[in-house]
Amino acid sequence: MSTPPIQTGQVLTSQQKAQQFKLFEDSLPKVNQLAFQLLLNEVVPLSMAVEEKVFDDKIQVNESEDQTNQKAEDVDNSDASNITKDIEDKLHITPELDLPSHVLIHQISTTNAEKREGVIKRLQSIGFNIGSKLTELLVFKNNPNIRFKDAEVLLIMKFICRDVWKQIYGKQIDNLKTNHRGTFYLFDYDYRPIRNFVVDGDISDPSLLEKETSLAQPFLEIPIGIITGVLSSLGFKSEVVACKASFVDKPDGTSKLNFPKGVSFHIQIVNQ
Amino acid sequence: MSTTDKTSSSHSKSLKIIGDEIWKNKTEKINAELFAMTYGSIVSQLCQDFQRDYKKVNDQLFTMGYNIGVRLIEDFLARTAMPRCEDMVRTAEVISKCAFKIFLNISPQVSNWSPNKEAFSLIFPENPLSEFVELPMDATKDLWYSNILCGVMKGALEMVQLDCDVYFVSDVLRSEQQTEIRVKLNKVLRDEIPIGED
Repeated sequence: MSTPPIQTGQVLTSQQKAQQFKLFEDSLPKVNQLAFQLLLNEVVPLSMAVEEKVFDDKIQVNESEDQTNQKAEDVDNSDASNITKDIEDKLHITPELDLPSHVLIHQISTTNAEKREGVIKRLQSIGFNIGSKLTELLVFKNNPNIRFKDAEVLLIMKFICRDVWKQIYGKQIDNLKTNHRGTFYLFDYDYRPIRNFVVDGDISDPSLLEKETSLAQPFLEIPIGIITGVLSSLGFKSEVVACKASFVDKPDGTSKLNFPKGVSFHIQIVNQ
Repeated sequence: MSTTDKTSSSHSKSLKIIGDEIWKNKTEKINAELFAMTYGSIVSQLCQDFQRDYKKVNDQLFTMGYNIGVRLIEDFLARTAMPRCEDMVRTAEVISKCAFKIFLNISPQVSNWSPNKEAFSLIFPENPLSEFVELPMDATKDLWYSNILCGVMKGALEMVQLDCDVYFVSDVLRSEQQTEIRVKLNKVLRDEIPIGED
């Protein structure tokens, strides 16, 4: 609104550049943040539902191998049943629904290790995909914040803390710590997707917090994927990057109304 | 009584104003490209998981949408303070002018009414989910890329006691003329009265 006119040929100050960039950002098409948040959070129960189905399919494949001979005999009858199935498909436009999301989220923490592994892998893979595309989106935008010299890893971490987080979660990472030898800690004391999560129960009961964190744990897998995705697209392949997330205490002065714990992402880059 | 006989055109005009106003002033916004990318990542992961069995992918997207819709409606009602719609004509207007405007910043066109006014189509001139998307050859026959939208509408409508079928009729991604979603009312669910009170 009150932007000073920018003359061509004149070298822009970094402040003007930032201002110009902000105007540009604001002019891009937008959608509701809540719609995005719901979509992103729903990926967690989705992954569990898919895991159940894919797992069942694997078992079925093994069983059906035993039954192939028997099936061959049934071929004559199958034509008729195919037709009725087609009609049924047309009549039932609404597919059979999965379990409600909260039940699925609960299942992730109670299911066996193999399935949980599958869910985590799926979540990280979706995050990885988002992360690597997001880099392109952000880098090709003439953002004055972005300057990667020789793919210096600290600059990339700052890029993740500032631009990537801002884009996805609407806020920056609260704290970045590093030993300058490939280890980084990224702290988010108000991690958005779980901000409003709460489990009903007695607050003074220590097992309540344990339950809350174990239910919220899968929601940290997507950002792990995003971080590794961004790093990978900027030259640090996933073989040399290890990323873990854990809950940490919030420092004094941060809101106690939201989720009781902050999140710490621990990133380790192995020497190549 | 005079307020109830407003003509439908003045109804829909005010709905448009409500939708625009909420979108402009009361909505936190994020980049639409990020939204499209995220959805794309989800769909591509599903295609991989189900080994390109696109019917399964459609169903999974639908049920994911359903689970979102049942929660999305809460936010929608809280934000708009919208009263119950008296008929499907009104419902269609609210969906197109308010709901889609507030959540995705688009207003699909309402058309193709059935004679009994219980089924209609939404025509999408643009679709933020499928921006920059091109389907591989084998997916163009069976995949409904944006099927999550059907699930969301199904879930949300069910929560306001409208049992509907919601399904894609055509999609520009399949090189069809337009993107069209059909909404068909099955029945209006009755208010449950607790046993013993009547």
